[in-house]
Amino acid sequence: MPKRSPAEQLDLAISDLLARPRQRSLPRPSPSIAKIVTLARSLCDLPRPDFKSALKTDLQRRTSMKEAAAPSPAPKKPAQFRRPDFPNIAPYFLVNGAPRLIEFLVSAFEGTERIRVPRPDGAIMHAEVAIGNSVIELGDANEQYPQRFMTTHLYVPDADATYARALEAGATPIYAPTDDHPSGDRWGEAKDPFGNTWYIATRKSWTPGPEGVLTVQPYLHLRDAHNMIPFIESAFGAQATGVHKSLDGLVRHATIEIAGATFEIDEAQGEVQPTRSYLHVYVPDTDALYAQALRAGATAVTPPSNAPYGDRAAAVKDPFGNTWFLATYLGTGRP
Amino acid sequence: MAVRRPAQKPSPSGADEHLLVRAAQRDPAKFDALYELYFNRVYYFLSARVRDRATAEDLTSEVFHKALANLPNYEWRGAPFAAWHFRIASNALADQYKRSSREHSLPGDPPEISAYSELSSRDLEAIDHQVQLFGLVNKLPAAQRRVIYERFVDQRTIREIADRLKKSEGAVKQLQFRALQTLRAQMEGGHA
Repeated sequence: MPKRSPAEQLDLAISDLLARPRQRSLPRPSPSIAKIVTLARSLCDLPRPDFKSALKTDLQRRTSMKEAAAPSPAPKKPAQFRRPDFPNIAPYFLVNGAPRLIEFLVSAFEGTERIRVPRPDGAIMHAEVAIGNSVIELGDANEQYPQRFMTTHLYVPDADATYARALEAGATPIYAPTDDHPSGDRWGEAKDPFGNTWYIATRKSWTPGPEGVLTVQPYLHLRDAHNMIPFIESAFGAQATGVHKSLDGLVRHATIEIAGATFEIDEAQGEVQPTRSYLHVYVPDTDALYAQALRAGATAVTPPSNAPYGDRAAAVKDPFGNTWFLATYLGTGRP
Repeated sequence: MAVRRPAQKPSPSGADEHLLVRAAQRDPAKFDALYELYFNRVYYFLSARVRDRATAEDLTSEVFHKALANLPNYEWRGAPFAAWHFRIASNALADQYKRSSREHSLPGDPPEISAYSELSSRDLEAIDHQVQLFGLVNKLPAAQRRVIYERFVDQRTIREIADRLKKSEGAVKQLQFRALQTLRAQMEGGHA
């Protein structure tokens, strides 16, 4: 009989342990893994993160109910769940060299830098650039959140002018805006100096102003994109609209709405590789949606907590590898 | 937004603890900080003394709800705040044992359950050791952390985890092995 590897020996011991977690006299593991098995026994008492966050939420609700019932404090103004001036699902760029990306967004897309939070080492922890009626967020990548290449759809009043400015700012041309795009919009494509893709489009029925379409929409290329729709509906209560599929069932394009803001998806194939994006979405109840997303198959990244910038915030990863930063504005914090 | 993962919290000093308790007594919303400090301790104290995870969770929930409700009545007398928390936990355990005895006709009185203030230094070390281990699990690389949670918390088989992660069973066993090696090295003060 071939000798088992240490990893296999350990797994056999763990299987015994899990079958009889309270039994102290299990078969003796080999000396090489004995200490690790002892440690594994301790892990049987590891608490469920979902339980910890659910209990915390429960206690917080109880706290707020007590506050509401107390006679003295003035009633709180109900907070809007969306931070003011934050209408879209924001792509959150984490790159190596965030200041250069800010410069690019300002020059190429006439963006306005509105927040920059530096780290002590000079890197950028968080920044926001307003483009049209929307927001893009960014920061320097790190070990936990490495750089990813994302695709973003920009709806602008004049795709040709924006495309030209993007090239001047250092973007690489993919194709100039054309009326022949299948969407029916005037549509071009360029890559920024970090390798992110930008679809630069003007709607034929363009309506400028806040009542028009959102300027910025994340665009996700996914393998088996059709599976994203039931997942996102069940995880975030999203609604898919305008789903166009090929005869063999592949999603050619779909727009998906979460809490009034939208993103787009399609099937990754050929030269279009799957993307894994960082996305920031405001929702009415971060805690509820976090729990709902985990039940639907998302992976916990950060459980809900009150962020110092005045949001209730959490993060999950979907089965396609996209990271979703969920947030509910608490009506406090930075302007 | 990312990006800011709190470091493992050490046991609070008496003065820090006192400040946190006073803050929570003035503003119950500040109870969050106490919850974060004591959750793992209370959970482990209970989990090590009951038969299953569901009971440990029910009792942990009961302890924190009672602690929150009774916080305005808590008086600082110099003893660690943990002692108060663990006395509530001990009472919850004793009550649970009585309920369980009635349901299953178990003989005799409930066993003696030590409150935190009466725990031996060895018991306290075991609790600290466990809290440190739980903290280190959350610092493992994402794939290793997920395997640990799926194996030990969700109690999935290697095959189930392999299917979910779209990896081979051998690869999952290796992730499990590496995770435990890392944890052992860190618990012993070395580097993985």
